[in-house]
Amino acid sequence: MRNDAASETLEDDLLDLVAEEGMIERAALDREANLADLNIASADFIMILMAIEEKYGVYISVDNEVADLQTVQDLLTVASKKIREKSEA
Amino acid sequence: MSLPRVVITGAGAFSPCGAGVASLWDAARDGVSAAREVLFSAIAEQRVTRAAAISAEFYEANAGDTVKPRMQDRVTGFALIAAAEAVAQAGLNEADFGGACGVIVGSGFGGADTLDENYLKFAAHTYGAGLTRMDAMAVPKIMTNAAASWISMTYGARGPLYCNSTACSSASQSIGLAFQLIRAGAMTRCITGGTEACVVPGVFRAWEALRVLTPDQCRPFSRDRNGMMLGEGAGILIVETLEAAEARGAEPLAEIVGYGTTSDAGDLLRPDPEGAASAMRRALAEAGIGAREIGYVNAHGTGTIANDVSETQAMRAVFGDVFDGLAVSSTKPIHGHALGAAGALETIIALEALRSRTAPPSLNFNEMDPAIGFTPVHGSAQDFEQDYVLSNSFAFGGINASLILGAAGRL
Repeated sequence: MRNDAASETLEDDLLDLVAEEGMIERAALDREANLADLNIASADFIMILMAIEEKYGVYISVDNEVADLQTVQDLLTVASKKIREKSEA
Repeated sequence: MSLPRVVITGAGAFSPCGAGVASLWDAARDGVSAAREVLFSAIAEQRVTRAAAISAEFYEANAGDTVKPRMQDRVTGFALIAAAEAVAQAGLNEADFGGACGVIVGSGFGGADTLDENYLKFAAHTYGAGLTRMDAMAVPKIMTNAAASWISMTYGARGPLYCNSTACSSASQSIGLAFQLIRAGAMTRCITGGTEACVVPGVFRAWEALRVLTPDQCRPFSRDRNGMMLGEGAGILIVETLEAAEARGAEPLAEIVGYGTTSDAGDLLRPDPEGAASAMRRALAEAGIGAREIGYVNAHGTGTIANDVSETQAMRAVFGDVFDGLAVSSTKPIHGHALGAAGALETIIALEALRSRTAPPSLNFNEMDPAIGFTPVHGSAQDFEQDYVLSNSFAFGGINASLILGAAGRL
């Protein structure tokens, strides 16, 4: 069973990472914000995915997993799912 | 005075499908993919393992006497192999080169293998693994213009020499620039195209890091597409004025009738359909033909979500009512995405498609994507009747290039 507190912490850590790599002010980073509205260029988005790979050892492809993402929360959900899958494997 | 007409009189290809235009075209027409498993011991945790690569054995078996491995990276070797075929088909003699003949051969990465190997040696030396002798010829092997320069030296082509390095549009823009410079009177004849030898560990890992490679199969325009597959190789064309070709009794294979190139001036990586559409429109306008006169489009069709949606929007905007009946395919699942050589290999496929009035299939197409709303030629090749074909190349950096070829029978 999923530990909700641990999951929440993981998503918070991921938010820090998105803010840093996407060069967005952490306080301004709303989970429900639309990714398209955050002015994250395609290159910044790839830096976010690269940082997730470095920190958590999970590879997230642009086309496979994140092509249909709309909001910041969508990204957090995909990333934390991959990270949990890896730690449980 | 009207502008000179520019024709193609020779073509050469060295690709993962084999040596020669015939092997590339046969594979494209029959839907036979050169994709295979490619494993690099230098990549600790390789995520993607498929590419259309040219093996060291196959390269060496085809290198012949003109290739000098001590002086040349494989990117130059590939180009020289393709150039020899093109020159032979065009029937060029020593007197046909000289100052009237230019060379415009593009490449995205240049001597990637040499660069990769020497960085590793440099790192090993710097970070304690002992002294390793670096390649003293590293610089002239790596420089992006090496292939173009070796072609000019091999044949004595003393006209203008350019190396166009615009990522995936390198080759299409090279051919387009050759067309424009011949029309402008800067040269009579040109050896043009593109070459790429990028399936080496460092470049492969860099592409993996960009996260646009498919982990399984390249499926352009298909709903289940999930990325592109790297390829490599070289495609070379001999282009010249119709007058010069006729004067030496050469038979044109086709005419280059239109070239359009534009830049998005937008996002570095995300394509803009308007930029792509404007390149196609310019090419059609220069050719002086309507959209319905195009019988086949060799799409850029990388198999990434973003390219295929953008390119389809662009084609729909340009072709309008005609689009739904148009034969479109991407041949990248067959020869891979050869980056700086892509436009040359694909223009050669478009040339052979035109000569045989046969549109090759898009391999691995499974299901129409509602976000795209069209079905490319798939399953098997399809006949067409028109006298014109179009080939698209779009590059990171927002560079769009479209070439239109017209059938030799119209001349």
